[in-house]
Parts: sequence; structure tokens; C-alpha cells
Amino acid sequence: MRWRRSERERDLDRELRADLELEAEDQRASGLSAEEARYAARRALGNGTRVKEEVREMWGWTRWDILVQDVRYALRVLRKSPGFAATAILTLALGIGASTAVFTVVDSVVLKPLAYRNSGELVVSWERVAFLGSDPVGPNPRHVDLWRKRATAFTGMATMSQGASGLTLGSAHPRLVGSVACSANLLDVLQVTPLIGRGFLPEDDVKGHDDVAILTYPLWQALFQGDPNAIGRTVRMGDTPRQVIGVLPASFRFPNKNALRSYRSKQAESSVPEPAIFVPAALDLSKYSWNGEYGNRVVLARLKPGVGIRQAETQLTSIQAQIEREMPAGQRFDKPGVLTAFVQPMQEAMVGDARTGLWLLMAAVFGLMLIACLNLANAQLGRALSRQRESALRSALGAPKWRLVWSSLTENLLLAAAGGAAGVALAAMGVSLFRRSSPVDLPRLSEVHVNVTVLLFSAALTLASSVLFGILPALKLLRTDPQASFQQGGRAPCGRQSKRLRTWLIGLQVFGCTVLLLVTGLFSKSLLNLLHQDKGFETGEVAIAEVRLAGGAYDADANRAAFDDGVLRNLRDLSGVRTAALVSAMPLEGESWIEDLHRVDRPQQEGPLINLRWVSPGYFETMRERLVAGRFFEERDRNLSSAVLSEGEAKALWPDENPIGAQVETENRKFTVIGIVADSHSASLKAAPVKTAYLHYKDRPPYVTVFMARGEQPANALVTVMRQAIWKYAPDVTITRVTALDSQLNNSLAAERFQTFVLMSFGTAALLLAMLGIYGVLSYSTITRKQEIGVRMALGATRRKVYALTLGEAGYPVFAGLAAGFIASVAAGRAIEKLLYGVRPVDPSVMLMVAALFLAAAGAAASLPARRAASVDPMEALRSE
Amino acid sequence: MPKESSNRIDLLQGTLDMLILRTVLFGPAHGHQIAKHIQRTTDDVLQIEHGSLYPALHRLERKGWIAAKWEPAGKDLKREFKYYRLTAAGKRQLTAEESKWKQMTGAISRIMWPAEET
Repeated sequence: MRWRRSERERDLDRELRADLELEAEDQRASGLSAEEARYAARRALGNGTRVKEEVREMWGWTRWDILVQDVRYALRVLRKSPGFAATAILTLALGIGASTAVFTVVDSVVLKPLAYRNSGELVVSWERVAFLGSDPVGPNPRHVDLWRKRATAFTGMATMSQGASGLTLGSAHPRLVGSVACSANLLDVLQVTPLIGRGFLPEDDVKGHDDVAILTYPLWQALFQGDPNAIGRTVRMGDTPRQVIGVLPASFRFPNKNALRSYRSKQAESSVPEPAIFVPAALDLSKYSWNGEYGNRVVLARLKPGVGIRQAETQLTSIQAQIEREMPAGQRFDKPGVLTAFVQPMQEAMVGDARTGLWLLMAAVFGLMLIACLNLANAQLGRALSRQRESALRSALGAPKWRLVWSSLTENLLLAAAGGAAGVALAAMGVSLFRRSSPVDLPRLSEVHVNVTVLLFSAALTLASSVLFGILPALKLLRTDPQASFQQGGRAPCGRQSKRLRTWLIGLQVFGCTVLLLVTGLFSKSLLNLLHQDKGFETGEVAIAEVRLAGGAYDADANRAAFDDGVLRNLRDLSGVRTAALVSAMPLEGESWIEDLHRVDRPQQEGPLINLRWVSPGYFETMRERLVAGRFFEERDRNLSSAVLSEGEAKALWPDENPIGAQVETENRKFTVIGIVADSHSASLKAAPVKTAYLHYKDRPPYVTVFMARGEQPANALVTVMRQAIWKYAPDVTITRVTALDSQLNNSLAAERFQTFVLMSFGTAALLLAMLGIYGVLSYSTITRKQEIGVRMALGATRRKVYALTLGEAGYPVFAGLAAGFIASVAAGRAIEKLLYGVRPVDPSVMLMVAALFLAAAGAAASLPARRAASVDPMEALRSE
Repeated sequence: MPKESSNRIDLLQGTLDMLILRTVLFGPAHGHQIAKHIQRTTDDVLQIEHGSLYPALHRLERKGWIAAKWEPAGKDLKREFKYYRLTAAGKRQLTAEESKWKQMTGAISRIMWPAEET
């Protein structure tokens, strides 16, 4: 553009020069001297600069000139007030940075389609089983088998279950990797082809031929350093040698066990390894019953193009009805309609509960951004008012109004652009930090990064914010009346209208801030509730270690029991260990091993559901759970069939009688109730205590065992010695986690902590901004009202009155904003109700605290200008008139 | 710029465009020639200030009614001038403006000298 312009400019110069020369020649020909001729020629042409300017205007590229001029002007103005510029840019950088960072996460997790071909066709199919509650569960393998044979709505349907296992190459130490046991067609359903090697064939999915494995790209790099000859090599997974037949492409992502849970009420596990190795499941269907085995598998399917989700669901539900009719006589349900199906998009299944929390953060960060923009708008309005004389002068000299508006918008655009650029840089840094060490386990975390969508978003946000905080002051300029503003003398006029505008801005700020603070308050209270509720157990000084025993020798119950006995002995021998025990499921990771249990004297087809836990003597003592009746497990229970019931379960089965000594039946075995333990939150802090039945571990020694030890000192000291104590007994077992029970508890609340932390920082920032806004408006109005205050005081107003007057000015918007904020927060509370524990969406105590906090803050912000107003010396103020 | 002669008439708005178009109808001309031509033809009644001529030329060029080209001229073809030439669109514009002008002058003269009309 520029070079074209200068060429045209030269062209015009040449043309006008030629005119001058010709005219001068003409004049000379009529007898004038050379000098006179030149002079006459100039006269004939007129004002050369003006001619050029007019011609330029004809060219129509003056807009560019104006822009350059405005940018230069804005830069000059901003350089003259570096304090304001720096504050504005910093505010915008933080606001845009925070919004961009949160949006990056929202975009990558919730909005962006999954990274599979035609990912919109991918669905997860669940089973709904009436007696298991309303939550969809991973289906029974036999049912899935019939779905695959009969359903026509899908191009493919795959099953898979995830776990973690120790993986060894050669003689190296085992490393813990996430494993996926899947049907042979999983990769076909996902439409993924291996980078090298081959995918699974139907033949691989048969017991005895299933000793093959496909590695993900990162595992291939880690184990074989990207050597293509890895194909055909053998790795050992647990005890099973497997031949590597393929490597997946680097871009391949698969949801981990938490992201795609087979049972939705199951809680996220802490530290789940990313899926790294795929093996055939090789299910032997004849080993499974027609009822049960729910919640252990996830069914991924691809819809036929053009088939809707509801259509597929209807089809599966009708197959479910067929299954109910065809089930073998002994296993058939009493009434029909127990089995139905639920189909949902794979993306939805993965993102699930993370969605609400993320949108909440997005709303919060937008609120913060809005408050920041309002603050800047207020500041700019103040600046525009104090620069009214300058703009009046420009206007009087003939500058068109739109030029004034435009140049003021340019200034804002410059500020926003600088803030936006810094914000994007901040966001990129924040996001990469977040991805590397996220405090929460988000689905699709590895996919989170700044991309084009995000950059577009920040650009739009930058533009919107500059308009938001720039348009009001700019419009103010449109109304500038040069004459009036000159008549005001040196005083900056502060019209009633602009004051009302600024009052509105304050009110809006207070409103946004109140909502944000109230939501923050609800979350903080909810987190406090979770932490300080009566858990029913004590975490301090307890260390836990999770061990996974893999097939082979450990397939024999006796060997697992011997292992458990040995490790328990080693743990109890450790100095500093008070009690040691084991349990079959990691505490605080939700419900598992759900079975029905009923009184032997009252057989029921569908008894109430309980969680089964296999524990060792000393478990309740180590967890410090409270005995309600009877006794806890002792060594003698090894040879008895004893059960300890949780209080809730005991009450449900025996509302009026004493259950001690009575018999219960589960899994077709009978147990004698020896004790009742108080209800505890050991399955989850976020849900009501789960009805639980505890059995002695020798009844069925678990494959995944959690050993626990309560020490005399803080648990961290135990963490290392526990690992050694386990390996001392069996050096080759996979220890998946060793940690303090306290940190397991903290992990189980990581999402709540993170949300509360983020909201708190947003809320604090919003409060500070609102305080700044109130302070700014009041101090400005105090300056402009100095004379008025002087007159009032001369007429007898006391200092106290003046003080109250200034405070009152802030009072209206603050109270109005507060009230509106309370009303809006009721709606906000409803939206986040699901994320709160033990707190109602409308909580008077939180409201009271927020109101008190806000009024204190507003009072502090207003008191300084108010004091300044009250200390005005009437004589001085009047003299300066 | 002092007013030199009282018989100079300020151009009516828009007429300059028409005059320029009419002038280049004879053939390509540069700015100075156009100004001189209008001046001479009207016996110096219409003195064109070059200051208004050049913006008008560039405006007409932008509208596509005339086209410009640098061409050598003079006795030895040593100097180059920017020659303006009427385009087809310009010709149509000229016809339109001419008829508008005729209508207007006709209307004005019917009011001013009603007797002559009858």
C-alpha cells in the first residue's frame, strides 16, 4: 500500500510541476520576466499544498493516513500517562490471559471434536439395569454379544476394559502402564490404523492366541526408542509374555480409565496411568452368567451414517427385551423391563461431569473480564472528561466529531491489543504449565493447547473489550459542546449525565462482583463441609500401598492369602507401626464390588445392593472406625464365615431386632453377622455413606490389595518402609501406589479444591477491581465538587455531613448492585447445585458474609475520598473559583 | 488570490466536470491545456483556478470517465505530460450532463425572459 502511495504522490508532484512550468512559459511569452512569470504561475495554481490535499482526498486513501495519525496521537497520549497505560495493559493482559487459558481448556475438552475420523459417529452404549439404580452401567458381556449380532444401527461395536499392569522388557524393572483389554475390532471402530505393524485380527481375540500387544507411540519410544524392529519382540505384561504386533500413530489418543468410566457413579481414581498397551480381551463368554458382571466394560460403537442416537438406543432396548425373554430359566427376572439401553456420544461420555465445572469457570472468568472492562471504562470516562477542553478545542478548530470518536477508540484499541498480546502469551504459559502438572484429572488433558480457535477467541475478546471500555468515553465526546466547555473555564465539567453513567458502571461492577463472590462463597463452604464433616474414619498417620497381583501362581487363592499374611507380618514388624491391615478396595474411590445381600430367613430375588469389602483383622482399628455392636474381625474369623455390616445396612435389614448372630447371604454364600460398624465416608466424601458388608480376606483374597499401616509419626515416614516391607516378602509384585491416606483424601477432592482456588482468586481480583472503581469515581467527583463542598461548608454544613454526603454517593450503586447480585446468584446457585455438597444454592450465612465483606471493602474504598472531601477548606475552595 | 476582473463568473457546482469532459472530447489533453482551453474559449470569462482543476481531474479519473497516461510531447518530445482522454463511460456521462444542462438553462431562461419564448 505504502509504495503505491508514494508513487502516486510523485506522479502528482510531476503533474503539478509540469503545469507550473507551462504556465510560466506562457507568461514569459507574454513578456514577463522569468521571476515574475514563475510567481504568476504559482498564483494561477493556487495553494499547492491544498491542491495536493484535495487531490489526495479524491484518491480516497486518507483513511489510512488518519489511522496512522490517530495511532501516533494515541501513543503520544499514552506515553504521557504511563501509569494509566501500564495499569490498563496489565489489567487487560490478566483478564484476557485468564479468559484465554480457561477457554483453551474448555475448547479442548468440551468443544473440540474427538481426534478420530468422523468422531461424531462414535458412541458409548450402556446398559440400564432397574435394580442397579438409574445410573447407566457398562454392560454384561453376553448382552453385548447379542447387541453385536442383532443390532443394525452400527457399523461396528467394540468392548474394552482398562487396567494398569507392570510391563517388563527383557530384564528391566517393571514399569506401570495403563492397559486396554479390548475386542479385536476396537481400532477398526475408531478407524485408526497402526503406524507400523498390524492391528488385531479376529483370530487374536481367542484364548490361547491372544498373546499379542499393540503399543502406543509414547510407549514404543520409551521401550524401543522408536526402533521399527520392535515388531515381533516380546514384552512381559504382568506374568504373560506378549508379542508386539503393532505401534499406533503419534497422534492417537485414548481416554484413560477415569475419563471413560465403566460405572458412572464410580469415582475417579487418583493417578491413573495413561493407556499405553492394547491387548485382546479374549473373553470366554461361556464363563459369564446372563446377569451380573455389570460395570466392568465399556462398549464403544460407531453409528451407521445417517442413524440417530435415539434410533440406535431404541434398537438396543428392544434387543434387551429379547434378552430378558431368552435368558435361561434360572436367571430370568420376575418382571419384564429390567434391562434397557442408553446410548450417548463418546465425547459426552468422556467429558461428563467435567463439563459443568468448566463452564462455571468460563462464566466466572468472563465475569471477571467484564468487571475489569467496566473499571477501565470508568477510568477512560474520567480521562475523557478531564480532556474535554482538548477535544473541545479540536472540535472548535474544525475536527469532525467522528474523528474525535475514532481517535479515542484507537487509543483503546491500542491498549487492548497490547493487553491481548500479553494475555495470549500468559495464557500459553499457563496452559502448558497446567498440562504438565494439572491439579485435576481432566479428560483429554493431553489435547489441551492453544490453537487457532483459541487465538480467534482472544482476538474477538480483545476487540470486544476495547469497544466495551472505549465506547462510552467515545460517545461522551460526541456530546461535547465546545462553547459550554470553554465557558466552564479551567474546571473540568462533570455533567449530571456523565455522573449517572459512572454510577451505573459502579453498580454493574458491584453486581458482577457480588455474584462471583457468592458463588465462591458457596464453593468454599462446600469444600469446608467436605473436609470437616464426620468422615467416620481418621486419616492422619495412615499410609497405604496398593499392590496388584498378576495371574500365574497368584491365581490360586491360597497363594494370594499367603502373600497377604506375609506382607501383613512384615508390616506389623516395622518399628513405628501401631496397626497394619488390608482392604480390597482403595478408600475414597467410590463404590465397587456391588452385590445384593439379604437375610437368610428372608430370601429376596433382588435384595438391597451393598458394597463388598474383604478386610483383615485390624482394618477398623487402623481406620479408627467406631464399633456400634458386636465385635470386629479377629484371627479366629479366618476359619469362620463372619461378616461385619455397616450400621445403615444393618438397620435396613433388621429395623427393630439385633442382627448379631443372624445370617446373611450374598454371592450364594452365607455369613454370620459378628459386628456392626458405624457408617463412614470411606468410599467417597462426596456421597452419603455407602451400605457395606465386610468379609474376612481369606474368603476371597483380592488381586488388588490395599495395605495400610497406622504409625506413631506422620504417615510420610512410613511410605518408603512400606514399599520395602512388601518387596521384602515378594520382590516381583507390582506396587501401583504408595501414599499417605491424607493425600489420597486430598486427591479425591482435587477438583473441588482447584475450582475453589480458581474462584477465590477470581473473586479476590474482582473485589479489588470493584474497590478501585469505587475509589476512582469518588475521588474524581470529590475533585470536581470541591467548590460545591466549599459553598456547603461556608453555609454551615459540618464535616461529618460532607463525609456522609460523599459516602452516600457510592451508597446507591453499591446497595443496588448488591441486591441485584443476590437475586442473580439464586439462578447461578441453581446452575451449580450439582457441584455443591451440604450447601443449598441459597445460603443465608454465605450471603451475609459476602454482604459484610463487600460493604467493608466498599467502605474502605470510599472512606479515603470522603475524608478528603470532608477536609476541604471552604475559604480556599471558594477562592479558587 | 486577489479578484482581478469583475466579469469573472464563479462556476456553478458540477459544471466544471462537464466542461472538462467536453474539452477532452476533442482529443487527449493535459491539465494545463484543459485550463487554457476553457479560459480562451470563454474569452477569459471563466478563469479556472488550477487548484480546483486537478482535484476534479483526479475525481473524474477515479470515476472512470477519463483515463490518464504519461506521454511525451513538445517539439523534441523530450518532456512528458499527463494526458487525459475521454472513456466510453465518460462519453455517456457527458451526454447525460449536457441534456441536464440544456433542461436547466431552458427552464431558467423561460423564467427570465418569458417574452422571447412566445
